[in-house]
Parts: sequence; C-alpha cells; structure tokens
Amino acid sequence: MSISEKITKTTTPTYWEGEIPVNYIYTFGLAGEAFFRAIKDKGTFLATRCEECEVTFVPPKAYCDRCFEKLEKYVDVGTTGYVETYTVTFRNMDGSAKKLPRILAMVRIDGTDGGIIHYLQGIPFDEVAIGMPVQAILKPKAERVGGIEDIVGFGPPKR
Amino acid sequence: MGMRKVAIVGAGITKFVRRAQETGKELSWQASKMALDSCGLTLDDVEAVTLGTAPDAFDGVHMKGEYLADGAGAFRKPYMRHYVGGGTGVFSPIHGWFHVASGLADIVLVVAEEKMSSCHPHPQGAFLTIFDHTTEQPLKPTLIWIFALEMNRYMSTYGITKADIARVSVKNKGNALDHPSAQVAEKITVEDVLNSETLCWPVNRLDISPASDGAAAVVLASERVARRLTDKPVWIDGVGFSIDTAYWATRDLSYPRYVETAARMAYDMAGIKEPHKEIHVAEPYDPFDYKELHHMEGLMLCPRGEAARLTAEGYTARDGNLPICPSGGALGVGNPIAATGLMKIIEIFLQLRGEAGKRQVPGRPRCGLAQAWGDLMQMGTVVVMRI
Repeated sequence: MSISEKITKTTTPTYWEGEIPVNYIYTFGLAGEAFFRAIKDKGTFLATRCEECEVTFVPPKAYCDRCFEKLEKYVDVGTTGYVETYTVTFRNMDGSAKKLPRILAMVRIDGTDGGIIHYLQGIPFDEVAIGMPVQAILKPKAERVGGIEDIVGFGPPKR
Repeated sequence: MGMRKVAIVGAGITKFVRRAQETGKELSWQASKMALDSCGLTLDDVEAVTLGTAPDAFDGVHMKGEYLADGAGAFRKPYMRHYVGGGTGVFSPIHGWFHVASGLADIVLVVAEEKMSSCHPHPQGAFLTIFDHTTEQPLKPTLIWIFALEMNRYMSTYGITKADIARVSVKNKGNALDHPSAQVAEKITVEDVLNSETLCWPVNRLDISPASDGAAAVVLASERVARRLTDKPVWIDGVGFSIDTAYWATRDLSYPRYVETAARMAYDMAGIKEPHKEIHVAEPYDPFDYKELHHMEGLMLCPRGEAARLTAEGYTARDGNLPICPSGGALGVGNPIAATGLMKIIEIFLQLRGEAGKRQVPGRPRCGLAQAWGDLMQMGTVVVMRI
C-alpha cells in the first residue's frame, strides 16, 4: 500500500494489475446445517453439549474440540444472552467514515459457553454496557433464507 | 545422525467426493478421530499436531491452518501447518517425523485436508496466480496446459504414445474400484481415455484426476511407544524433499530432477542402493496419468523412458513385479491435494501391514514408498517405509 501510494506517475515504475478470479461456495457443514435450519424454520438457536468436557457449543459443533467425541444431540437454547464485550465502529472497511457508527458485540448465549458476534440494534451508545441482557432480533420468517444474516442483530430482551 | 526411529501406528481417511457437506474442520475431525481410534488412542495422548493443506484460496479461508486447527485435534497443543503445493501430503508425515525423530514428542497426529469445492467456478482461478505475475499470468495459464507442455515433451523425448500413457489411467481407475474412499473409480479402456474430450492437447479429460474434498490422518509414534501400541508398526526409514527453480521454462521437462534428488535423500537415509529391487510397492503422485510414469523414472524405479513399456507389460499392475498405485491413486480415488499425498502414505502403511483387503498386493511387501510433487512442478517429497 505504501509503495503504490507514492506512485504519482504510473509509468514509473510500470506495473501489472491483477486479481485472483475466484469466488466461493461454502457449505454450512454438519452442525452448521442444523444451526441455520433452526434459525430459519423455528427462530431459535441450537447448541451441542459435551458432557465429558462440560462445554456447550453455540453455534454448535459436530465434535468436541477438547476430547474429539462426536456430538449429535442438539438442544434448543433460545435466543437470549448478555453482552460479553462490544465495540463501536466509525469507519468502513475501505477507510471511509460510516454515516452512523455501529455497535458490534460478542453475545454469550444464556446457559451456554458459546458466543455469537453480531450488531447491537436499538441500544443507544451511551447505554451499552458489558453484562447487559440482550435477545436476538430475527428477520420475519418469510424473509429468512438460512445464514447469519437471518439475524438482524441483538436488542433489548422482549418481556 | 542421532535421530530416533519413528513409526506410523494408525491411519484414518474420509471419502473423497466432489462436494462434501462437511466443513473442512469436520472432514479433518473425521479423519483424525478415525486415525486415533484405529490405534486405541485419545486426543489426550497426542503431544503435538502437524497439518498439511494446500493453498488457502481452495477452501476460501485465509490462514487455513489456524482455521482447521480444532478439527485437526490441535486444541491447546503445539501445532504447525506446512505447505508445499501438491507435494504437501507426503511432506505431512515428514513434518510429523521431525517432531518425533528429534525427541520433541512421542505421539504426533498428522492431518491433511483439502476442500476444493468451495472454490468457484473452478480451482483453476486460484492456480492462475501461482505463476509469475508479469511473464506468465497475462497468458492465462491453467494447470492443464502447462502439464500438456510437459507431457508432450516427455512423449517426444522417449517416443511414447498417448495410448501408452492412457494405460495408467485405466489401471488406476480400475484399482480404485476396491478403495472405499474412491470418487472416480471406473472400469474403462484405453479407447475411452483417447476418446474423452481433448482439453489441451495431448491431455484428454480421462488423463486427469478430479478436484475433490477430503481429509486423511496418521498417528506417528516413537519406537518405545509404537512397540507398546501395535505389533505391526510401519517405520519411516527415509524422508526426502527437494525443490527446483520456479523458472520452469529453464528446465528439462522430460525428467523430474527434483524427484530424483528427493528420492536420493530418502534412499540414502533408508540405506537403499537399488530402489527397483528393494522397493516392493510404490505410490507415486499421479494427478495426470503421464506423471506416474514420469515419477517412476525420477524415483529410479525403472530406467528413463521405460515406465510406459513396463506398464503395458503389466509390471506395475497390482499383481505385477512392482505394483504402482494399488490404491487407485489420484486418478481413481480422487485428488484433494494434501489429503491425496497422505492417502498414498496410508496405502503403503496398509500394504506393508497386510491390511489392504481387496487391494492387497501379493508377496508380503516389506518396503514401500510414497511420493508427491508440487508447487510450480518443482517440489519432490518422498517417504520410504518398512515393516
């Protein structure tokens, strides 16, 4: 980046422009398929639990990464949790200023060891705090297609 | 050299398929778990993990080594990824061998993974940028046309025909019918190969291995531990690796010198003087059918230019004097790059233990070899194993 920024006359030095012409098709995987289907069809989060290691994975894993046992039992853990940590972003990926700053949080789902990274919605900057309870806001069922963007973000829990 | 003896004591492998539902992590876990189960170990017993996987651009995950770590059993363990292009899978046990031979660890899990189906429309788009960006990339090279150049040079140097070479594809796809992981096992004829679509003359579709998803894993152990775990440890007696220049247009394409230098390194370590007599079964890398012949010659398993004739005579068949790719190879089992090399290591492991089932070569082989090649047709990796 720094060298190209100093080039004021593109003929000195000369250069090639290039790209890696591929895009990607990612599968959700065995556990990911179960997780995203539950969000899409039932509006809830699934977890897997390793009883031996006492770890509950959200998003679920098909295996326990600590002991390597197969995890096949999916449990519904709901969509509530609390803010484990957060940040406020002011710039876009290309360095330009965001029109509105956004809050990004790591949300620990209640009763699990797992976390979901997503936006906080409907929470003013001066009110956000570590430890505050939140709940997932999902797109309306008809608009959900399977994927992390079926979650709009996390907001104040519904009573 | 003051190094400890190292044995392979367990192995696992997934099916090789065009598009796996499993993520790369899940494939790695399946192979790794199978390998540990095969020798009665758990993840707790593993002291270090090495992982082989080819370009990040295939899976579409940068720092793929770190991404795959938990599927490869590396949770809070010493862990390192290695990568030498298509040579990766046979380098994988070499990397694990360093850990055990040096005394660093007694039990090491070695994993190789590739999920090429993520790459769209085709992994060729990723291969494009392995070439020199100024002199070659503007010509839009594909792996098929650069190997077509090499195949043509090999054919013309030794007077070999396309039909001579097609026999390798017929043999390997046939052998793969007995491999439970196989993706493209088929009973075909030389005519089928010659009549398949010409992609880049002289390369036809059936001369080439497919793009695949898959993973494989082996467990390595020091001598003391290996003898406790199994009655049939398979010893890694020689390792070799060597790289040639990326200025590939300066090379003699009819002969893979880098394979020879890697093989000499492995043979010296294993005390092998006459490889064509002392090696009983071999799995050279065969992503293209002519490459099996090319590599047999580089490995000094036969005189230069003779591999095609020996293949025609049945010398390299599963029941021939020197069975070559009894697994079915990349041409038959499939070619998830890094996992293919480790699949070949596993085949020799099973053949030497007499556990290859319907694929078992006769005559109780005592010494075998696996080889892979990679990068800009410049890297040779060789492992010699004995029981």
